Amino acid sequence: MEDLILELKEGIIDVLNLEGMTPADIDENAPLFGEGLGLDSIDALELIVLMDKNYGIKLANAEQGKEIFKSVRVMAEYIQANRTK
Amino acid sequence: MIYSIGDSIISPLAMTSHGNFEAVLRGESRLQYYEHAFGLPEPSFLSLFEEERLDQAFSALWDCGTAGYTRMEKAAIVAASQAIGEANIAADRDNVVFILSTTKGNVDLLEDNPYEPERVYLWRSAQLIAEFFDNPNTPVVVSNACISGCAAQITAANLLRHGGYKYAVVVGAETLSKFIVSGFQSFKALSKERCQPFDTNRCGLNLGEAAAAIVYTIDDDDIALPDNTLILRAGAINNDANHISGPSRTGEGLLRSIRKVTDGHDLSRLAFINAHGTATLYNDDMESVAVNRAGLQDTPVNSLKGYFGHTLGAAGVLETILSHQALKHHTILRTLGTEQPGTVQSLNVSLQNQPTDGNTFLKLISGFGGSNAALLMENHTHTNEPSSVVETRLIASESKTNEPSTVETRLIASLQEHHIASTCQITDNAVILNGETFITRGVQCENWLADIYHASGMQYPKFFKMDNLCKAGILAAEILLRDVDFDREQVKEDWGILLMNQASSLDDDRHYQTTIRDAGNYYPSPAIFVYTLANIVTGEIAIRHKIGGETSFLIFPDFAPERLERIAVQTLAANPELKHLICGWVDYDEGRCDVRMFLYQLVES
Repeated sequence: MEDLILELKEGIIDVLNLEGMTPADIDENAPLFGEGLGLDSIDALELIVLMDKNYGIKLANAEQGKEIFKSVRVMAEYIQANRTK
Repeated sequence: MIYSIGDSIISPLAMTSHGNFEAVLRGESRLQYYEHAFGLPEPSFLSLFEEERLDQAFSALWDCGTAGYTRMEKAAIVAASQAIGEANIAADRDNVVFILSTTKGNVDLLEDNPYEPERVYLWRSAQLIAEFFDNPNTPVVVSNACISGCAAQITAANLLRHGGYKYAVVVGAETLSKFIVSGFQSFKALSKERCQPFDTNRCGLNLGEAAAAIVYTIDDDDIALPDNTLILRAGAINNDANHISGPSRTGEGLLRSIRKVTDGHDLSRLAFINAHGTATLYNDDMESVAVNRAGLQDTPVNSLKGYFGHTLGAAGVLETILSHQALKHHTILRTLGTEQPGTVQSLNVSLQNQPTDGNTFLKLISGFGGSNAALLMENHTHTNEPSSVVETRLIASESKTNEPSTVETRLIASLQEHHIASTCQITDNAVILNGETFITRGVQCENWLADIYHASGMQYPKFFKMDNLCKAGILAAEILLRDVDFDREQVKEDWGILLMNQASSLDDDRHYQTTIRDAGNYYPSPAIFVYTLANIVTGEIAIRHKIGGETSFLIFPDFAPERLERIAVQTLAANPELKHLICGWVDYDEGRCDVRMFLYQLVES
């Protein structure tokens, strides 16, 4: 799980262009949206692409993403349970 | 007074304005389900031209075959030809200007281009359309995302009032492609069923193809017009300064545009509001808030998206013409697809075709880049009351004649009222602020725009999410305004942004294309797609500096200083409320950066 969390943090920094951030700067238990990383609705859509591209998980809409993108840890748990690649 | 003397709609429904109106009156639509349109893996619900029908209409105008023009160009030419024919004007005269409204033009050529390489540029399409009619003037491309069609009509009014032209041919045209549909799918914005504008169960928009054209002209206010002439009473554009893709929850920008076009006007015969009504959750809620805040919640509201889908750059032109057709026939059209209205604030949604004795309608439209526009349109008849309408926005610069000398005098006067307070130029090697070198490119530089960012002292993490065009534009604005004293906290209605370039968003278009090119690696990126609209750079600057006035983006074949200055002055003359205008050329193409940005400010007397 810890390896997946690290991989996920690196992926998020890469696809969301979080310039100057390192995995250590992201608290895996903190909310991804609303505060902290300053992510917005377009970032949420890009995370849906990340889930599909890297883990073979297709999310139907952004609403579904809201639950899964609560924190990096919640994302990692969902990926571990549902990944197809 | 600006009024229409000819129009045309060609759509999958019908090939004339009246034909489309009759089809709409019958409740027809060509929106349908496609399992794999354009080879896409996901299904979609679209309204597409029948190739044969389009080619037949084009062949009737041009006997040299249909291979020399793209689908978008053919549609635009057919629509323009019909409108010009009805207007009975000589389009080859130099008092006629062509204005093309489109968001993506021939972007499908990025995948397979049998034409010359320039054909993917919007200016080239506009040039070919104008050349088809032997028009000698440089055409204007208005590429303001979804509000383009209304913005183009406002541009037409400006050019007729302040540009010395007698006729403006406004053509809105959009054809669909894998590029466009995949992008909207990546945004999760498309419904897989017929769209339901303003409905409680709405779940996204449908896309459609269309072309529509209006020929506007200008005359004295007291000229006798034929019955059923469409008069463009007022138009306004405002930016939300909120988000590049999400509408303002408070409807701020749209409300400002509504107020600008209605203030001082008698609305007692306002028949209906033709809203944008895309059937996305947030757009329709935003419109409901803006309409309620404007006190117009009891006025019937309709959306035409259930008939045509969202026709993007054609929408503002098509929906203006069709609404006029409805008004001519004393009808408020039904919002096809809607059963149970349900927006965050209540609207009087037109659910059936119904009679009206009104003579005026409001056209509303909003789009990416935080842009919003409103038009106040009147159907002239002899039974109309003597007009108590006052063109408040333009009264300061209205004239009784359109003689070039008068136009020149007016423009010089406007220029004298404004001065250039600051300039910023970004080339591939240097940034020049007010004539002095701000930073030069280092020998070891690998990322020139990032170097400029750090040198500017800008602290804006969002910069790194932007495409190169937006990076270049927002950096120039940051440096341009660094020594300017202004309120950086409040949204400012007296500030506007007018940018132009040659390449539109082509640099980012090519980037997005790489995400959809290979079937085995097909992951369309919403974060890249959102920047495939040239006007997003105006939105990013508006958000950064809280600019809530008019924002617009135009495209031309080249940079011409005198043209830029003329357009800046025309914009200021047409918008007396603007005291500050960021105007400039912002281009990024094939790794080359070319930015020349100017801050025009009103001289305080």
